[in-house]
Amino acid sequence: MKRSRRVVLTLMGSAAIGAVSMGLVPRQDCGPGSAPVVGPDGRLYCRPTYRGFGGAPHRLHGHGHGGHHGGG
Amino acid sequence: MQRIVCPERDDWRATAESAGFDFHTIDGERYWDERAYYAFTLDEIERGIEEPTAEIDAMCLELVGDAIDDEEYLRRLRIPEAFWPLISESWHRDDASLYGRLDLSFDGRGPAKLLEYNADTPTSIFEAAVFQWTWLEQGIERNIIPKRADQFNSIHERLIDAWKKFVHARHLHLAGMTENEEDAGTLAYLEDTASQAGLETTLIDVEDIGLREDGNFVDLDNRGIELAFKLYPWEWMFHDAFGAKLLSAPTRWIEPPWKAILSNKGILPLLWEMFPNHPNLLPAYFEDDPDAARLGSSFVRKPLYSREGANVALVSAGTTLMEQQGPYGAEGYIRQAFAPLPSFSGQYPVIGSWLIDHTPCGLSIREDETPITGNTSRFLPHAIL
Repeated sequence: MKRSRRVVLTLMGSAAIGAVSMGLVPRQDCGPGSAPVVGPDGRLYCRPTYRGFGGAPHRLHGHGHGGHHGGG
Repeated sequence: MQRIVCPERDDWRATAESAGFDFHTIDGERYWDERAYYAFTLDEIERGIEEPTAEIDAMCLELVGDAIDDEEYLRRLRIPEAFWPLISESWHRDDASLYGRLDLSFDGRGPAKLLEYNADTPTSIFEAAVFQWTWLEQGIERNIIPKRADQFNSIHERLIDAWKKFVHARHLHLAGMTENEEDAGTLAYLEDTASQAGLETTLIDVEDIGLREDGNFVDLDNRGIELAFKLYPWEWMFHDAFGAKLLSAPTRWIEPPWKAILSNKGILPLLWEMFPNHPNLLPAYFEDDPDAARLGSSFVRKPLYSREGANVALVSAGTTLMEQQGPYGAEGYIRQAFAPLPSFSGQYPVIGSWLIDHTPCGLSIREDETPITGNTSRFLPHAIL
């Protein structure tokens, strides 16, 4: 039916090693952008760790665009 | 539909890593799992999955058309009023959708049932489009699967075609949470396909998007962001610091703002209201709707906003049997009739049915030992026999 298709990558993997930085951040139960922290009652809570869209204040008004900081 | 146990390729990990598929194992647990595969007949694929997927997508578009300028719908979906104009304008401007994934319950016998629609930020597309196909080709070569085997999968070439609709833009930015391995992999794959379509691309972390005094969003080189693919939910965009700037900035977004309607679990009761008793829908109601009592004391409870099964609960005879923990639920819940996932050798598969530019074109299957598919569920390949 569709066996003749060609699936070619030009940027990913060995096509271009290092085209994207794949971090080794372990997956957490809180979902992306949150991390478990121990609350006052000893239970785990999810707390946002990611600053999000517009979360890096020095980026406002276009200042400080000289270097890449990586994520949260 | 069958679950067939088979030998795994002894070099699949190296093959995955050479393709950039580094998240095949997560926290020491298999995510990619080829110790078995799901086999379908062509009829099961075409009539059982492909046709219903197209029909559900058409129903969803009809729903958006009704909801887009209707205050009552938008309030029921808890979409912040400040963003109604952004959402409406993107719909009336016909801003194009790139992709989406329907999650279906399907056992090969009865009709597929829509569990939910990942309309805004679906992931697992690389493994569905590329690595699953590599498994099929190598599996045939190595006599792991029958030579006649095929696959419902034209995701890759359809993505490249779909990106060609956007080549009017000078440049495409792809934004997401780049330190998350899975999101980074998804972005890298979509960037690859966009590049093959002829777009110039830049990857950027959502946090690194800046705002110039002229109201333009900019990248780290102060380049204006004209067109951006975002692997970051609209509801988060709305609430984040730059949310209010979305209204005045000229950036066009993929997925477009009108997808904020379809990525909301509130569409499940709204679809049931518009298309009652449709064979591919499950009865569903907003939790505060008195009609929710029609479901009785057994149902699935889902937050309006939720991902990877978080905060989804199975309630049986009034007792919560199983609940995935998570941070969602503040905006309210819906209740959906409980449709037990089929069990194949004690495993519960959910069918992910991919739409690229509104065309059904491929499958992914996530399998779990529990009836809630979450972020630790394994990805199994499929074949048409």
